[in-house]
Amino acid sequence: MEYVNPLTGFRVDGRRPNEMRQLKGEVGVVARADGSALFEMGNTRVIAAVYGPREVQNKGQQVNSKDALVRCEYRMADFSTGDRRRKPKGDRRSTEISLVIRQTMEASILTHLMPRSQIDIFVQVLQADGGTRAACINAATLALADAGIPMRDIVTSCSADLNYIEDSAGGPDVTVGFLTKMDKVTLLQMDAKLPMDTFETVMDLAIEGCKAIANYIREVLLENTRRLECQRDH
Amino acid sequence: MVGLSEGEKHFIRGGIAQDLRTDGRRRLQFRAISVETGVIPQANGSARVRLGATEVIATVKAELGKPSILHPDKGKVSIFVDCSPTAAPMFEGRGSEEFSAELCVALQRCLLGGKSGAGAAIDLSSLIVVDGKVCWDLYIDGLVVSSDGNLLDALAAAIKVALSDTGIPKVNVSLSATTDEEPEVNVSDEEFLQFDTSSVPVIVTLTKVGKHYIVDATSEEESQMSSAVSVSVNRHGQIRGLTKRGGAGLDPSVIFDMISVAKHVSRQFISVLDSETLAAEAAE
Repeated sequence: MEYVNPLTGFRVDGRRPNEMRQLKGEVGVVARADGSALFEMGNTRVIAAVYGPREVQNKGQQVNSKDALVRCEYRMADFSTGDRRRKPKGDRRSTEISLVIRQTMEASILTHLMPRSQIDIFVQVLQADGGTRAACINAATLALADAGIPMRDIVTSCSADLNYIEDSAGGPDVTVGFLTKMDKVTLLQMDAKLPMDTFETVMDLAIEGCKAIANYIREVLLENTRRLECQRDH
Repeated sequence: MVGLSEGEKHFIRGGIAQDLRTDGRRRLQFRAISVETGVIPQANGSARVRLGATEVIATVKAELGKPSILHPDKGKVSIFVDCSPTAAPMFEGRGSEEFSAELCVALQRCLLGGKSGAGAAIDLSSLIVVDGKVCWDLYIDGLVVSSDGNLLDALAAAIKVALSDTGIPKVNVSLSATTDEEPEVNVSDEEFLQFDTSSVPVIVTLTKVGKHYIVDATSEEESQMSSAVSVSVNRHGQIRGLTKRGGAGLDPSVIFDMISVAKHVSRQFISVLDSETLAAEAAE
């Protein structure tokens, strides 16, 4: 299967090869959570909610008392994929993605500032259309910022962008998590074979994507802060 | 789940007794409701309903299946509910299973009727494509995204709106289908059939706190309840199902009283929901 039409140079959904899908971010979508956000990349749509920092609920999980405990759960809605399936909770894929998100977010949260406390990140996929991992990390970043949790930098993620049709066809999928200001890669996953030099271009492409997303996320947060300031003044 | 001091509990109960609740509502007043349709484009129909800080999404997906041997002239409808951990940390992992099952069974009771499918809110015989061979299976999924009490009413309202948003693809059956072989079915991409949702009920939950009962309780108010009765009523004022929750016993006369109040309240609720749905469909 060709991902890029050799005649027109456009992809299946009409994008150029290096064009990102439409982004949309919104904070404060779950009223009761300490921080929450909705993040959309094209048709992929996820909600993240953050609870904490709060007292550690299960003392057994506390590894050391000097750092905050960060926990994450990833869940897909039954209706999120094209064909409806009822999957058991906590299957391997969800567990793996939960772990990936947790590790990526842990790298940016200043855990040493919140000893003996716990931060829960819950991500719920409403629609899956490729790049759910990346969308979840971006949503989690927005939600953590909304909760006012101190972070080193904004982590954003971008998979060298394949939508679901392309994804299912078994094309190479490279997901990168990136700390934009510190210029550091915190997450890197690839599940296909790829020549070294192509890999470099793909990774550069993903990093470019991460930077663009980081700019967008900053804009969303700034806009939200302006709105809050406006509300305070009145 | 809700941490309240003695003073706060007293304040909530006192307010309800004086017909002025903590958020300024009267006992039989709903929170502001907002409706959005078509929120999940991958589904045949979907809706998001917000009641105050409670937010739920309902989707309807239709798949072609085989009718059961017992009822060859009827389609199948199933309802599932999931509480996302985004709504509350206690729904994490398997923590939501019991609660989701409770909501799910209550909704099934109100929408699906008895085992034979009699009394279902959706006309099951309208889901049949070829008698005894092909029918539509409707999967209704409810997802709780944010929880601030009264989830059952919000879910039922979202399902009602999602069903009215649902378009089932028109199906052409080739004529050779009269033989014993599997009939050939052609699903249209362009033509959709709308549902008759006029008899789909809403659910009104009356929560008893102290001597009085209230509608659309927040989670703080729910933490103070002694018992709750959920009545599902359709547009014509008919009762479709009833569930009582909570530990305390209720006097039978109180239950009859609650049902008549629920019937009265549901009329206003349905009209508000209808106008919100129309506005949402116009905005889509």
